[in-house]
Amino acid sequence: MPDIVITFVEVFLRTYEGFLKAALITLQLTAIAVVLGMLFGIVFALMKISNSKILVSIANIYITLIRGTPLIVQIMFLYYGITSMIVLSNFWAGAIALGVHNGAYIAEIFRGAIQGIDRGQKEASLAVGMNSSQAMRRIIFPQALRRAIPPLGNQFIITLKDSSLVYVIGVSELFGLANREAASSFLPFETFLVVGFYYLILVLIFSSLLRWYEKKLDVENN
Amino acid sequence: MIIGKNIHKSFGDLEVLKGVDLNVDAGEVIVIVGVSGSGKSTLLRCFNFLEKVNEGEIIIGGRKINLRKSDFSAERGEVGMVFQHFNLFPHKTVIENVTEAPIIVKKIKKDIAEKEAMGILEKVGLSDKAHVYPNKLSGGQKQRVAIARALAMEPKALLFDEPTSALDPELVGEVLQVMKELANEGMTMIVVTHEMKFAKEVADRVIMLDEGRIIEDATPDIFFNHSTNERTNQFLEMVNV
Repeated sequence: MPDIVITFVEVFLRTYEGFLKAALITLQLTAIAVVLGMLFGIVFALMKISNSKILVSIANIYITLIRGTPLIVQIMFLYYGITSMIVLSNFWAGAIALGVHNGAYIAEIFRGAIQGIDRGQKEASLAVGMNSSQAMRRIIFPQALRRAIPPLGNQFIITLKDSSLVYVIGVSELFGLANREAASSFLPFETFLVVGFYYLILVLIFSSLLRWYEKKLDVENN
Repeated sequence: MIIGKNIHKSFGDLEVLKGVDLNVDAGEVIVIVGVSGSGKSTLLRCFNFLEKVNEGEIIIGGRKINLRKSDFSAERGEVGMVFQHFNLFPHKTVIENVTEAPIIVKKIKKDIAEKEAMGILEKVGLSDKAHVYPNKLSGGQKQRVAIARALAMEPKALLFDEPTSALDPELVGEVLQVMKELANEGMTMIVVTHEMKFAKEVADRVIMLDEGRIIEDATPDIFFNHSTNERTNQFLEMVNV
C-alpha cells in the first residue's frame, strides 16, 4: 500500500506544473461555457415562456436536440461543423460546444424559476404602470435569479466536469493531459488518481464560493 | 372619472360579468359588496385591465380606452391598484417599492422620487420603515406600503381589491384609517370589501353585485337601513349588519 502512495506523490510532483496549466485551461473552458450557457439559457427561457408559437417551437427544438444527444457527439459535430466553415481553434470549438450544451439545461432552470414567481408580482408591476418587459427586467427576473442559484450552481459543477470531454478534439485540458501522461509514463492508475484529485479540488472551491454567494444573497434579503 | 358600460367578462364558459354599468364621479368613494363569486374582484380588475373585458366600454378621465390593445401601462399609471395579498416586491426595500414605478415608468430622478416617497410613507405612518425589506413588516404595514406604492404614481383613482381580507383582525384598523384619510382628501376610490362599517362610514355609494349584475346602487343609509331588495337584505343578514 505505501508503494502506491509513494508513486502517487512522485507522479504528482513530477506533473504538477503541467497539470496546473491544464487546470487553468479547464477553468477557462468552464468560464466561457458558463457565460455562453447563461446567455443561451436566458434567451431560450424567455422564448419558451413567450406568447409566440414560433419562438416556443424554436426553443423546444433546441432543448430537445441538446438534451437528447450525448455531449461528446455535440462536441464532435460542432467541431467539424464549425471548423469546416470558419477558422477556429479546437479550444474555442470546445468552449462553444460546452456553452451551447449548457444553455439548454440553464434555459430549463430559468424557465422553472421565472414561472415559479407568484403571479401577483407581475400584476403588481403592471398595476403601477410598467410594461411587460420592465416587469420582467426589474421585478420578475431578479427574483427568479435568486431562486435559480442553487440549481445553477449544480449545473456549473457539471459543466466543470463535462469540460473533460473536449479532450476528444485535442484540447490539452486536465483530462487530455492526463490521458497523454498516463500513456507515456505507463502509470495510468496513479495518473488518473492525480487528475481526479485536481477535479475534486476545483469542485470544492467552486461549491464553497457558491455557498458563500447564496448566504450573501440570503442576508441581503432578510 | 371612471365609466364602465355594459361590461361582459367570461372565463371559458363561465360568464362572470353579465353587462355591468358603473359610473364613478371624481372624488367619489364606491364600495362594492356581494357574495363570493358575484364578480366584484373581476369587475375591479377590468378597470385596471388585468382582466380583458369581452364586451363593453371603459372610459377613464373622459377618454374611451381601446380594449383590444395589449399594452395598458399608460392607463394603469392613472388608476392605481391595491391587492388583497399586497404583492410587494420582496427583493426591494420599502422605499424602493415606492420609488420603483416613478423612476422606471415616469423617469423621475432618483433623489426626487425618494423625497416624494418619504412624504408618502410619512402619510401612511411608515417613514421609519423606509429601508427595511417587506418580510420584516406586519400585514397591516405591508398593505400601507402597497397603498404608498400606488400613490407614488399620483393616480387619479385607486382600486382596492379586498385590502383587509388577508389581515389579522387587529391590523385591519390601521389600513382602513389610511383609506379613510385618502377618501377625505378627495381621492376617487372603488373598494371591494367585506368591511361593512367602512362602507357605512366612508362610502358615497354602495353597490351590490349578484351573479355578475348590479342589483343595487344606493347611498349607505338606504342600502343598510331601507333597502327593499330581497337579495340585499339576505346578504346583510348573512354578514350580520
